[in-house]
Amino acid sequence: MVTPSPSQFRARVVDTRALVGGYFVLSMEGPAQPAPLAAVIPGQFVMLRGEWGRDPINPRAFSVLDSDGDGRFSVMLKAYGRGTARLCAMRSGEPVTVTGPLGQGTFVSPSAHGPTQLLVAGGVGLPPLHLQARRAAAAGLASRVELLYGGRDRDDLVLLTDFEGWGVRMHLATEDGSLGDRGFVTVPLQRRLQAAADAGEALQILACGPTPMLRAVRAMGLRHHVPTFLCLEEEMACGFGVCLGCAVPVYGDKPYEYCCTEGPVFEARRVRWS
Amino acid sequence: MTAPVRSAASLRPEQVELACRFGSLSLPHPIMTASGCFAYGDKFAPFFDLRRIAGLSTKGISPRPRPGNPLPRICETAAGMLNSIGLENVGAQAFLSEKLPWLAELGISVWVNFFGEDMDSYVECARMLDAGHDRGIDVLEMNISCPNIKKGGIEFGTVPAVAHELTKRCVQATRIPIVVKLSPNAADLPAMAQAVAEAGAVGVSLINTITGMAIDVRTRQPRLATTYGGLSGPAIKPIALRMIHQVHRAMPQLPICGMGGITTGEDALEFLMAGASCVQVGTANFAQPAIGPSIRDELRDLMAELGIARPADVIGCIRPVPPEPAWASEAPEPGSAS
Ligand SMILES: Cc1cc2nc3c(=O)[nH]c(=O)nc-3n(C[C@H](O)[C@H](O)[C@H](O)COP(=O)(O)OP(=O)(O)OC[C@H]3O[C@@H](n4cnc5c(N)ncnc54)[C@H](O)[C@@H]3O)c2cc1C
Ligand SMILES: Cc1cc2nc3c(=O)[nH]c(=O)nc-3n(C[C@H](O)[C@H](O)[C@H](O)COP(=O)(O)O)c2cc1C
Ligand code: FES
Repeated sequence: MVTPSPSQFRARVVDTRALVGGYFVLSMEGPAQPAPLAAVIPGQFVMLRGEWGRDPINPRAFSVLDSDGDGRFSVMLKAYGRGTARLCAMRSGEPVTVTGPLGQGTFVSPSAHGPTQLLVAGGVGLPPLHLQARRAAAAGLASRVELLYGGRDRDDLVLLTDFEGWGVRMHLATEDGSLGDRGFVTVPLQRRLQAAADAGEALQILACGPTPMLRAVRAMGLRHHVPTFLCLEEEMACGFGVCLGCAVPVYGDKPYEYCCTEGPVFEARRVRWS
Repeated sequence: MTAPVRSAASLRPEQVELACRFGSLSLPHPIMTASGCFAYGDKFAPFFDLRRIAGLSTKGISPRPRPGNPLPRICETAAGMLNSIGLENVGAQAFLSEKLPWLAELGISVWVNFFGEDMDSYVECARMLDAGHDRGIDVLEMNISCPNIKKGGIEFGTVPAVAHELTKRCVQATRIPIVVKLSPNAADLPAMAQAVAEAGAVGVSLINTITGMAIDVRTRQPRLATTYGGLSGPAIKPIALRMIHQVHRAMPQLPICGMGGITTGEDALEFLMAGASCVQVGTANFAQPAIGPSIRDELRDLMAELGIARPADVIGCIRPVPPEPAWASEAPEPGSAS
C-alpha cells in the first residue's frame, strides 16, 4: 500500500481527557491544509515530543486514535515512564512536535463478504483497533468486526460506549471478573474461535496490546489456522527507519524487519517468537 | 567573572561567512550529520532538502551485508541513549550501486563510514569503496571503534600501533582520503590521533559512542541484549569536548570532525572552539529529522551576535581561565599591586 510520506509538524494540545483506569486521550491540532494525518490508516502511528529540552532525548510512539481532515487528531495513553508521564501532564495550548504518519504495515479493512475481523485489544493497544472499528462502522461494516477486550478490572476497559454506539459486538474479560469473563482476553477469544470452527465461519484476528497478550493470541491464531495480524511495539528512537533499533525478529529472507517502517502490523506466522 | 570576548562588534547574520575547510575539503558550513543516525540519507528526503547540510556520513559499510544484533538494541538513558545495533548495513556493493548515485546527485559532501571484521576485511572494504572515488565519495570515514562487533574490533581502536598499521594499509588501498573515527574508549587519544595521522589519515572524527550499560532491576537483566552498548546524545558532550580539545592541543594542524551530543548551534560553536573544523550531528536527528539545517542557522545567528565572521576565526580559540591571586591570610592593602 502506498502511504503518504511522513512529515514533522508542530501541533497544539486542544483537549486532555482523563478516562478511568489512568488512561488519557490527548487531542491535538496541527496544520489543516493539508492535514498531514488526514488519511491515516489504522495501525499507523506518530512520534510525539513536547518542549522538554534534552531529556528525554527521543520522542515516543503512539498509535493514532482518530484524525480528521481539519488537522485535529488524538492519541490514547497512560503514564508509564518518563515520556508518557510528561505527555499525560500536558495542558491545552502546549506545543507538541509530531512526526507522522508512520508505518507501512497496517491493518487490512474489513469487507462485506470477507472474514469477520476479531479485534483483540489490551491496555494501550486499544487505539488502532478503535480506529479500525470506527472506520468499519463509517463504511457500514460494523457487523464485520467484533471487539475482544481484556484488562485487569472494569476500569481498565475504556471507550466502550464508542463501540456500543457503532453497534460493534463486544466480548470483554477482566482478571478480577468485574466485567465480562474472568481471566485474560484469551478466554473469550478461545470461545469465539471454537464457535467459528464449529460453524465453519471464516475469521481474521487483528491484535494490539501488551507483548504477553500478543504472544498468547499469536499461539491461538496459529493453532486454529486463523490469519492473525499483530500490531507490535518495539522501542523506537526515530520511528522512520534510521536508527535500526526497532527490529522485529521474523522468518523469511532476512532475520529482522523494522517495526516502524515494515510494521507496526506483522502477520503473526512470520514473527520469530518462541 | 571573565568578560566575554567580542572579537568585533556584533554582525548581521548575512555578514557571517560560514564556509570552512576540513583539510583540503571545502564545506559551505560546518554542520554535517553523523554515521548511523542518518541511514543513507534517503529516509530524510521527506523532511528537508538535504542540500541544506554540508555533508553526511553514511551508516557504517562492511565488505558484505551484515544483519544486526538481537533485541533489545536500544534503550534510552538520561539525556542520551544506548545502542547495540550491530553495524547492520547493506554491504559495499549494494551501497555503491543502490545508494551512492542518489547521494552523489545531491552535491553535498559524502563521507562513507566503513569498517571490517578484521584487518584484511577493512582493507577489502576500502578497496571496494575506491570505486566511488570519482563517483561522489569525498571521504572514507574509517570506524575503528566498533563496540558492537565481537571479533577483533577492540585493539583497532585502542592500541596506537595497531591503528597505525590498519590505517596505513587502508590508505594504500584507496585514492579516497581517509578520516579515522577514533574510539573514546582508547586510553590516550592524542597518541591514537598521532598514530593514524602518521599513517596517512587526513583527519580524525571524534567521538564515537562510549561503552555503557543499563539494568532493568525488575527482571535483573541488562536493558540491551548484548549487555553493553554505545552511549550517545547530550550526556556525552562534555567528554567529547574534552577529547577534541586534547587532540587539537596535541596536533593543532590535524583536522578534527567533532561530534557527541550536539543539539544546538551553541553546542556546535563549543566544538569549533575546542578545536573541531566541522561537526556532525547524530542522535538529535531521531527526534528532529531537520535539525541539521536549524543548527546551521542557530550557529550563524550566534556567530553574528558574538561578532565571529568565520568559523576559522574560532577553531581551537579557547583561552585558559585566568589564575586567581595567591591566597594569603591577610587581604592586600587597597591600591597595592594585585
Ligand atoms: C508503534 C507503537 C505504537 C504505540 N502506541 C501507543 C499508544 O497508542 N498508547 C500508549 O500509551 N503507548 C503506545 N506505545 C508505547 C509508547 O510509545 C511507550 O509507552 C513509550 O515508548 C514508553 O515511554 P515512556 O516514556 O512512558 O517510558 P520510558 O521511560 O521510555 O520507559 C520505561 C520502560 O519501558 C521500556 N520501553 C520504552 N518504550 C517501550 C516500548 N515501546 N515497548 C516496550 N517497552 C518500552 C523502557 O526500556 C523502560 O524499561 C506505542 C509504541 C509503539 C512502538
Ligand atoms: C543508533 C546509532 C548508530 C550508530 N552507528 C554508527 C556507525 O555505523 N558507525 C559509526 O562510526 N558511528 C555510529 N554511531 C555513532 C555516531 O555517528 C556518533 O559518533 C555518536 O552517536 C555521537 O554523536 P551524537 O551524540 O550526536 O549521537 C551510531 C550512533 C547511534 C546512536
Ligand atoms: S525506530 Fe528507528 S528504525 Fe525504527
